[in-house]
Amino acid sequence: MKRSILVSFFILLLVVIIGLALSSQRAARPMQLKLNFLPVVGGQPLVLDEPRYANPAGEGRFKIRSFQFFISNIRLIGKSGQYVEPESYHLVRFDSASGKYLITLDNVPRQKYQEIEFGIGVDAAANGAITVSGDLDPNGRMAWSWDVGYKFVLFEGGLMLGGTQYPLVYHVGFDENFKTISESLDGELFEQQAPSLDFRVDILRMFDAVNRIDMSVLSNVKFDRKDAKRLAENFAHMVTLCPMGCSPLEGIK
Amino acid sequence: MIRTVVIAVVVALAVVIALAAIFGVFAQSRKPAPIEGFAAPFVFGRFQIPESNPLTIEAVELGRRLFYDPRLSGDNTVSCSTCHKQHLAFTDGLKTGLGISGKPLAFNSMSLANLLWGPRHFFWDGRAASLEEQALIPVQHADEMAQNLDLLVVELEDDSRYRELFDIAYGEISASSIGRALAAFERTLVSSNSRYDQFLRGDLTLSAEEELGRKLFMAHPDVKVSLRGGNCIDCHSQFLTGGFSSRYDGFSNNGLDEEQHLPPGLAQTTGDQAHRGLFKVPTLRNIAVTAPYMHDGRFSTLDEVLDHYNEGIRWSSTLSPLIMEADNLNKESPDHISLNLGEGEQTAIIAFLHTLTDHDFLTAEKISDPFVQNGQQR
Repeated sequence: MKRSILVSFFILLLVVIIGLALSSQRAARPMQLKLNFLPVVGGQPLVLDEPRYANPAGEGRFKIRSFQFFISNIRLIGKSGQYVEPESYHLVRFDSASGKYLITLDNVPRQKYQEIEFGIGVDAAANGAITVSGDLDPNGRMAWSWDVGYKFVLFEGGLMLGGTQYPLVYHVGFDENFKTISESLDGELFEQQAPSLDFRVDILRMFDAVNRIDMSVLSNVKFDRKDAKRLAENFAHMVTLCPMGCSPLEGIK
Repeated sequence: MIRTVVIAVVVALAVVIALAAIFGVFAQSRKPAPIEGFAAPFVFGRFQIPESNPLTIEAVELGRRLFYDPRLSGDNTVSCSTCHKQHLAFTDGLKTGLGISGKPLAFNSMSLANLLWGPRHFFWDGRAASLEEQALIPVQHADEMAQNLDLLVVELEDDSRYRELFDIAYGEISASSIGRALAAFERTLVSSNSRYDQFLRGDLTLSAEEELGRKLFMAHPDVKVSLRGGNCIDCHSQFLTGGFSSRYDGFSNNGLDEEQHLPPGLAQTTGDQAHRGLFKVPTLRNIAVTAPYMHDGRFSTLDEVLDHYNEGIRWSSTLSPLIMEADNLNKESPDHISLNLGEGEQTAIIAFLHTLTDHDFLTAEKISDPFVQNGQQR
C-alpha cells in the first residue's frame, strides 16, 4: 500500500517535470535585435579631421573632429504588445575602427513589430536628473552642468576659409529640442534568425534640412535657444531607416 | 559480512566528511576578506572593480605596504611614495619626477586620487590601459625604480609578512600579483571630503567669491546669451573635476605649445596624428597642493595656469576647438583666441579651486606609510 502511494507520487512528479520542460520549450525564446547606425556626410563617407565637406550655405570647407549624440527610449511597437528597452540611453559615435555604431537589444520577445520609435536627445525627466543610466553620465563629456542638463548632439570641428581654420562648436540641448523618430517596420523581419536594422545618420542634415546654415555666419551654437531650435529642427531629419539595409552611401539622392 | 562492509563504509564516509570540514574551515580562514562598505559619493557615478582583482582587505593592505616600500626599487632607495607623497595629494612638488638615476623624468608626477573614475588610460600620454599595467612600469623603468621583477619576487619571498599577505590575497608572489596589489591600494585613494563635496552634500555654503568661481568653472562662455564662463568644465567634469572616461575624450590639447613644438602626447600611444599634443586631463581635486602644473610642470602657480587659459593659448592644428572658440567678449577676429576673463573672475576661479582641497585625504592614516607610526620608522 505504502509502496504504491510512493510510486504514484513519483510518476506524478515525473509528469509535472516533463510537462514543465515541454511547455518552456514551446514558448518562443526571446530574440536579439541589432540596430546599426552608419554615418554619411551628404553624399560622402564620414572621414574625421579632414576638411573635405562644403559649407552647405556659404564659403569654405569644414572638418569634423568630434561628433556624438544620444539615442534614447528605444521602443518596438507590435499589435500584441510592445518592447521597451530599459535604461535606454546610447551615446552614438563613429570614432571606432568599424566606423559605425551598434546597439544590441537583448531579450526582445519574439513577435512581429510594426514600428520602432526612439528619441534623439535626452527626455526631460532624465535631462533634469544626475542619475547614471545607460550612457548618461553627469561627469561625462555630454553633461553641461547639473542645472543645464545634457548636450543632445555634439559637433566640434573647424571651417577652412581662405587658408585660416575657424573653430566650429555646435552643442545642442534643452528639453524642447528632444526629437522622437518613428519608422514603420516590415513584420517579416522578425522571422529571421538574427534580425537587424540599418539606420543612416546623415550628419550634413544637421545643417541642411529644414534650415540651411552658413557655418561662416553661425559658427557656434550653445545656449541661444533660437539657434539651438534651428539645429534641432534639422537633426530631427538626420536619422533614417534603410528598409532593405544600407551600405553607408547607398541610395543617397 | 554485510555488517562489516556497512560499518567500513560508514567509517570511511565519516572520515571523508571530517576531512572536508577541516579543509573547508581551513580554506575559509585563508580566503581574503572583501572590503565592507567601500563607497563613494553618489555624484561620482558608477565605478568598476575588475573581477580579476577584487578589493579585499589583504590586497589593499599588501598594496599599501608595497607602495611605501623602497625595496621595490633596484637599490632599495626609491618607493612609489618618493614621487607620490600623501601630503601633496600623492605628487612630489617637482617640475618633473626624480627617481633612482637622478635624471629628471619626462613628466610631472600625477596626483593619485579617485582613480576609479575618469579616463581608463593612465599616464599623461595614456600608455597604460589599466592600473595593474601602470603600476609595474615605473618599477622597471631605468630612471625611476630600476627594478628587475624576478629579483623583486625573490626579495619579497624572504619577508614572512609579505609571504603571508600574498598567500591570502593572491595565492602567490609574482609580478602580476604585485601589480594587482598596488592597483587595489590605489583604488582606495578616494578624495571626497573637500569643501566642494560638503557643499554638494548641502553641509555648507560657499563664499560669494567661491560661488562666482564655481559658476565660471561650470560654464562655457556664450556672449549671445550673456553667459560668462571660465571654460573649465569643457574638459574637467563637474563633480569629479577630472577628464571624461569615454574612450580618449579625457585627453586634450590645451594650447601649451605651437605647432612646430607640439610634443607627441597621446599620439605616442595611439599613433593617430589627430592626437598630437593631447595629454590626459588630470583631476583638479587638491589642485592647490599639487603645484607645479601641466604635464611638464611648466607653471608654478595657479595664477600662471589661469593666465595661460585667459591669454596665453598657443595655436596648433590639434588645439581643442572649445578653447579656440571660447571668449567672454565678442571676438576681435574669428581666429583670435582669448577667454577675456576679468581680474576678479580669475581670482574667483582660483578661490573655487581651493575648495577642492580635502584635508582628510592628505592626512588619512589608512592610506599613509604603514612603516611609520607616530613619526617613527617601524
